[in-house]
Amino acid sequence: MYRYDNIDQTLVAERVAQFRDQTRRFLAGELSEDEFKPLRLRNGLYIQTHAPMLRVAIPYGLLSSRQLRMLAHLARKYDRDYGHFTTRQNLQYNWPKLEDVPDMLADLATVEMHAIQTSGNCIRNTTADHFAGIAPDEVDDPRPYCEIIRQWSTVHPEFNYLPRKFKIAVTGSPADRAASEVHDIGLHLKRGPDGEIGFEVLVGGGLGRTPIIGKVICDFLPREHLLSYLEAILRIYNQEGRRDNIYKARIKILVKALGIEAFREAVEAEWALIRDSGLKLEVAEIERMRSFFVPLPYETLADIDPTTGREPAFVAWYRHNTRAHKVPGYRAVIVSLKAPDIAPGDITATQMDELADLADRLSSGQLRATHDQNLILAEVRQQDLYEVWQGLVALTLATPNIGTLTDMICCPGLDFCSLANASSISIAKQINDRFTDVDYLYDLGHIEVKMSGCMNACGHHHVGHIGILGVDKRGEEWYQITLGGSASGISSLGTVIGPSVSKADVAETIAKILDVYVAERQEEESFLDAFRRIGVQPFSERVYAANH
Amino acid sequence: MRQIIKDRQVVADDWTYVGKEEAAGATRVVLPLADYLAVRAGGESPVPGAQVAVSLLPADDEQALKPYLADLPLIVVEFPSTAEGRGYTQARLLRERMGFQGELRAAGGVRLDQVFLLARCGFNAFDLAVGEKLEPAIAELERFSVAYQDGAGPLTHPRRRYDTGASSAR
Repeated sequence: MYRYDNIDQTLVAERVAQFRDQTRRFLAGELSEDEFKPLRLRNGLYIQTHAPMLRVAIPYGLLSSRQLRMLAHLARKYDRDYGHFTTRQNLQYNWPKLEDVPDMLADLATVEMHAIQTSGNCIRNTTADHFAGIAPDEVDDPRPYCEIIRQWSTVHPEFNYLPRKFKIAVTGSPADRAASEVHDIGLHLKRGPDGEIGFEVLVGGGLGRTPIIGKVICDFLPREHLLSYLEAILRIYNQEGRRDNIYKARIKILVKALGIEAFREAVEAEWALIRDSGLKLEVAEIERMRSFFVPLPYETLADIDPTTGREPAFVAWYRHNTRAHKVPGYRAVIVSLKAPDIAPGDITATQMDELADLADRLSSGQLRATHDQNLILAEVRQQDLYEVWQGLVALTLATPNIGTLTDMICCPGLDFCSLANASSISIAKQINDRFTDVDYLYDLGHIEVKMSGCMNACGHHHVGHIGILGVDKRGEEWYQITLGGSASGISSLGTVIGPSVSKADVAETIAKILDVYVAERQEEESFLDAFRRIGVQPFSERVYAANH
Repeated sequence: MRQIIKDRQVVADDWTYVGKEEAAGATRVVLPLADYLAVRAGGESPVPGAQVAVSLLPADDEQALKPYLADLPLIVVEFPSTAEGRGYTQARLLRERMGFQGELRAAGGVRLDQVFLLARCGFNAFDLAVGEKLEPAIAELERFSVAYQDGAGPLTHPRRRYDTGASSAR
């Protein structure tokens, strides 16, 4: 993985010193709350319902065991012994003290981590495919390009006061595991006509109040032009994006208003003036970055069937929580942070420490955070899978539910977030309590449930196969259900099934939806495919028929 | 007289912002873009005989100044609020693309915590928000000794590290 040099280390150290000074000035009354807000936000610090919340960047989701131990240490020393993984490969602490945050950031800097630009109207943490570098279907490893983008975007002098936040995701596989089409910019690595590496560039995707799938602005961008093209897009956005209305300020609104053709024209005109500037990436620069992400010294192993002679619990876990690796004899393990009785994405300090040990002992000493709020041990020898499973079972991190109904994406919701209209975590619990029959869950197959406690859509509800959105109705929590959303492969936005349902009825409503699917599906047809074939009507009829 | 930061020093500023300050008798005046362009096109100055400079609002097109840059002593870029970000782009375009050599001043909702970024975009003068202390802001210009982007000042092309032998931090 990428290692900091003196320049990187100096930059984060100087950033910590800057924020320490800003915090001191705020606490001394030299900065008002309004003046301090944009400064703390650019260092990941929100003021939430109960306490400040600190969001730590895990660039493109990659994490060393040493870094994970530091995250555990921070949870123990400054928080309540746990952290929460988000939908953008970040980790959040929900209970830090404001005055401790500079020390937390200083601790993070010792393991080459930071919270720079994890909030605020600036370029956020760049996210990537969590199977980067090991996916059998990968065109190229996105992580070197993510690191290039991370550095370019960090403390960018021109783009720190954008009209609104700006999120970039990069994927190297046709199977989009980074929700790249609902990002402000989505980058898809691909090969050009002569086999050279470059990107398909999408712009103007996003969720929130106005969900939009990104549009292709460039079919093929040779990789050396990556930064100049990004800079051109950001510059047009910074100049032309709306600043009069926070709800109209994302780049998607600008792209929609201008139309993709006119927006492309503006970007290309700007790009023509900077494409051969110092932003042009030289081969040696790219190769230097790539050298940090070279494949591990894999052993020469044959694929085996690790399930032979093993108990059903292991077999179920193997089938649901492990994935193919491009190297024979290896497999990727998804560590489920979706145990039935915890908030999706939460992990305790003890789990973090033990998992770090497991990663050192039986994987590469690295982990990845996924955008669906799980972790990955990416380099496990197939012969070690049983031992890994035993280790994870002991940590209650082996719930064999990846890709199933209970592998839900869930925002912190009303329990923590000051923006939320409704609770999300309690709905996750309700669903877990209602659907306890794992055979039924396995029979349902791949279903993505995504829920957000408000229309800001941190839980990506628009792109859930089943999306759940918390809404406030005269002071009560109600939930709007959408079906048929997806952010991988062929992206689509969910269709609302009808009026929102009461809090008590959410799980029961989902049960009815699933009944329709089970009755209507053809052979191996997935929930999403069935929905795309039959549409929303049969589901709406079933859900609302009972209410009449 | 107003105190500003210019070239890392506190200096007294003898420019008068027309439309915001009493301009009668002023010898050096800063005009809004439309007024400035009118004067340059042969129109009468609101303060006849005074030397003229220009101020840009966020929505103004800096390209309009292209014909006049060589003899423009000062461009004031206004930040109506701290959150306003267009001035950063205006500054880079004026400096890097259009080659403006004169004083480039950030004014309005400009606070100590922005001056480092503003300077990297090419500003060499700062008329800070009311109440901001100038000496600490000068110190703030040295906040970072490294940068990842090209920009004004000595920190150029830091990405090109493959041949610099930048040693590992540990």
